[in-house]
Amino acid sequence: MPPTSRIPPLLQPFVRTPKNESLLLLTSTLDASANWLLTRFLCDALGSGQKDNDNGGAKNVVLVSWMNDYEFWRQESRKGTGLDLGGLRTLGRFAFVDGLSGLFLPAAEDGADQQRPQSLPAAQPGVPATRGPQSLPLRGPPGRTTPATATAQAAPRAPTSQPGLYALSSTSLDHINATVTAAIASLRPSPAAPRTLVILDNPDILLACVPGLTPASLTSFFLGLHTQPSVSHVLIHLQSDLALLAPPERPSPLQIAQQNLVVRTAHMSAKVLGVRVLDTGVARDVSGVLRVTVNRESWADIATVGEGAEGGAVQAPEEGGSEVLYKVNGDGSVRVFERGAGAAA
Amino acid sequence: MAFRKRNVALARSPAESPAAEAPSSPASHAPAAAPTPGTRPSPIDGRPTTSTGTPSLDSILAGHAGLPLGNSVLIGESGTTDYAGALLRFYAAEGVVQGHQVHVVGMGEVWGRELPGIAEEKDKRREGKERAEKMKIAWRYEGLGAHGSSRERGSPAPSTGDAAGEAAVFCHTFDLARRLTLPVGSAIDYIPIPRTTGSPFAEILKNLQKQIAKSSPGSIHRLVIPSLLSPALYASGASHPSVVLPFLHGLRALLRKYSTRLTAVITLPLTLYPRSSGVVRWMEILSDGVFELSPFPYSHMESLATSAGTTMDEERPQGIFAVHKLPVFHERGGGGSTEGLGEDLAFTLSRRKFVVAKFSLPPMEGDTEAQEAAVREASGNAMPRKQDLEF
Repeated sequence: MPPTSRIPPLLQPFVRTPKNESLLLLTSTLDASANWLLTRFLCDALGSGQKDNDNGGAKNVVLVSWMNDYEFWRQESRKGTGLDLGGLRTLGRFAFVDGLSGLFLPAAEDGADQQRPQSLPAAQPGVPATRGPQSLPLRGPPGRTTPATATAQAAPRAPTSQPGLYALSSTSLDHINATVTAAIASLRPSPAAPRTLVILDNPDILLACVPGLTPASLTSFFLGLHTQPSVSHVLIHLQSDLALLAPPERPSPLQIAQQNLVVRTAHMSAKVLGVRVLDTGVARDVSGVLRVTVNRESWADIATVGEGAEGGAVQAPEEGGSEVLYKVNGDGSVRVFERGAGAAA
Repeated sequence: MAFRKRNVALARSPAESPAAEAPSSPASHAPAAAPTPGTRPSPIDGRPTTSTGTPSLDSILAGHAGLPLGNSVLIGESGTTDYAGALLRFYAAEGVVQGHQVHVVGMGEVWGRELPGIAEEKDKRREGKERAEKMKIAWRYEGLGAHGSSRERGSPAPSTGDAAGEAAVFCHTFDLARRLTLPVGSAIDYIPIPRTTGSPFAEILKNLQKQIAKSSPGSIHRLVIPSLLSPALYASGASHPSVVLPFLHGLRALLRKYSTRLTAVITLPLTLYPRSSGVVRWMEILSDGVFELSPFPYSHMESLATSAGTTMDEERPQGIFAVHKLPVFHERGGGGSTEGLGEDLAFTLSRRKFVVAKFSLPPMEGDTEAQEAAVREASGNAMPRKQDLEF
C-alpha cells in the first residue's frame, strides 16, 4: 500500500472538511460501521496525506469517542491510514477523550486497572516487550494504594502522564463540555494547522442512557463546542438505524429522542455523510454505500452571509448529494468506487 | 502442519526482541499469543481468540476461527425455544474444560451442573486417533458446504500427535446428554441478580469487576448472561434504556479493559424485546457480535415425516441463523467480504453439536415421489394419490 493512496482520490472530497466553519454529520448503522471513515477524517485533518497541502486542510483534532477506547483508534488509524496518533499526541496536534472506559464502569477499586490501559499506549514502541513478566509487579502495588489513585481520579484526569489523553467519568454535559474544552485547549495550534476539528463519536449513547437528557441540550452542546474560537469544525457521528429512527406505530421515547437528535443535527450540518449497507443485500466486493448530501441552505452560511459564495465553490464536486460504494479490506485499506465500476477499479 | 506449535514459538520470539515486530499482526496482540489454554492467535491478525465451544460458530466469526478476546456476542432468539441456551452451555462448558473462569449471571448452581460433558472418552491415545480419523472425514465433507475456516479448527489437534494433541484442543465436542463433572473448587462463579429497586446491573458489573481484578493476571474469563432482561430473572425496570444500556456500555468498557482476558456471550429473548425496538438496537450496537436465531415453527407433519425414515433428515435445519454483526470485522467497517456472511444460514442442534450451515431448501425434483410417499404415510392417507385424481 503506497503512502499516497491512504485516502483514495474518490474519497478525498468526502473527508475534506469544508472551508467554512461548519458542523458535519456522519450517520451509520449497526452493520455498516463508520469507524473506517472517521479514521480517514483523522488522516485528512492531521495531514498524513500530505500530497495536497494547498487546501489548508490540516487541522488539529480532538476525538471524543463513546464507543471505542484509545487503543482501538490508535490501531485502526495506524493500520488503515498509517497515522501515528501517539506521536501526534505528543506534538499537541491530537487529543483523545475516552467516553467509554470510565463512563458507566464503576471505578470503585479498580484504580490499578484504570492505570493499566493508560500506561500501555505510553510504551508504544516496546509494548510487546513490556507485556511479559514486568506487568506482574506493576499491577500489584497500585491495587493496594487505592486511596492515592482515587484522589488522582478526582482530578479531571489531567494530562500529567499522558499528554492528550482525557477520560469522561460522568454523563453530565457540563463535565463533558469541560473535559472536551480542556482537551481542545491542550492542543498547540500551528500556522500549518491553526484550527481544530472536534469529532464526537456516538454522543447519542448519552441520549439513550441518561434519562433527563433532551436532544435539544445535546445539540446545544454541539453548538457550544462549535462556537469555541479555536474550533472550526465539529463532526458528529450518530446512529441512524431504522430501528432507532423510523418509529413504528407506537414509538418509544428513545426512538423519538434519537430521531429528534438526528434530524436536528442534520439540519444544522453543512454536510451529511451517511454510511449504510447495500439495500439489495450483501455483496462480496462491496461493504456498503457512502452517501453525501451537502446542505447548501445551512444556517451556518446564513450566519456568515458574507463568505457564502466561497463555500459553495469548494463543495461543488458533490453538490446535490452523491453516492459511492466502498469496500473495507481486511488489512484496513479501503477502496471507493462509483456504482457499477466495482470490477474495473 | 504443526501449525500451533510453530506459532507459539513465533509468538515468543518477537516478544523477546521488539525489533522483530511481525508486519501483519498488531503489536499489542502478539504477546498474548501465549500458551494460555483455550486460546490461540487469530489466523487473520494474530489477536488471541478463544473458542465458543461450538465449532461452526467459531468458523463464522469473520475468519478469526474463534471469538477474539475482549469481545462480546449477543444472541437473540425468538420464540419459546432455547437453542441460544444450548450455545451458552457449550460456551460455558468449553470455558470450564479449558480452565477458564466462567461467570454466570442470574443462574444458580443447577445451571452449572447441567453443563454438557465432553463427548469423547477420557483415554487420550485412543481419542487422539479417533479424533484424527473423524477430522479427516469431516474435513473432506465440510468442503462441500460449510465455511472455510471451520476446517482449520480441528486440524492442529491431530497433527501434533497424541499427548500434545490433547493439550492443544481448541474446541471440544460436547454431548448434551452427558453432564460435565465440574472441577473441585469454584469453576463457575455465579453472580446473583440483586433484588434492588435501582439498577441491578451496577452490582453485577461491580461483582464481575472484583472477581476479575482479584484473579491471577493470566487467567481467562468468560461471562455468560442467559436471557438478559427476561422477566423471570430481572425486575421489570431493568429493561428501561437508562438501566440496561449503561450496563452494556460498562461491560463494553470492561471487555476493552481486559481485552486479552475476557469474553462475554449474552442471550436475549427477542419475542419480548423485538429487534425493531430502540433499546435492543442500542444493545446490539454496544455488543461486538450480534446473531439472531429464528427457529422454524414446529410442524407436526414434518416431525412425523422425519420419523418415517427419510435418512436425509438427520440434518434438517431447525431454524434460521442470522448474522447481523461480527466481532472486530464490523467494528472496522467491513461488510460483505467475509465468507458466508449474507448467505442464508440455518442451524441444527443435535445431541453432540450445534451446526450452522448454509441453508437451502431440499431438492424437489427427482425426489417428489419419495417425499409424497413420506408425507402420505405420515398424514395417514389424508391426501389422495396423484393417480387417483388423474383420469
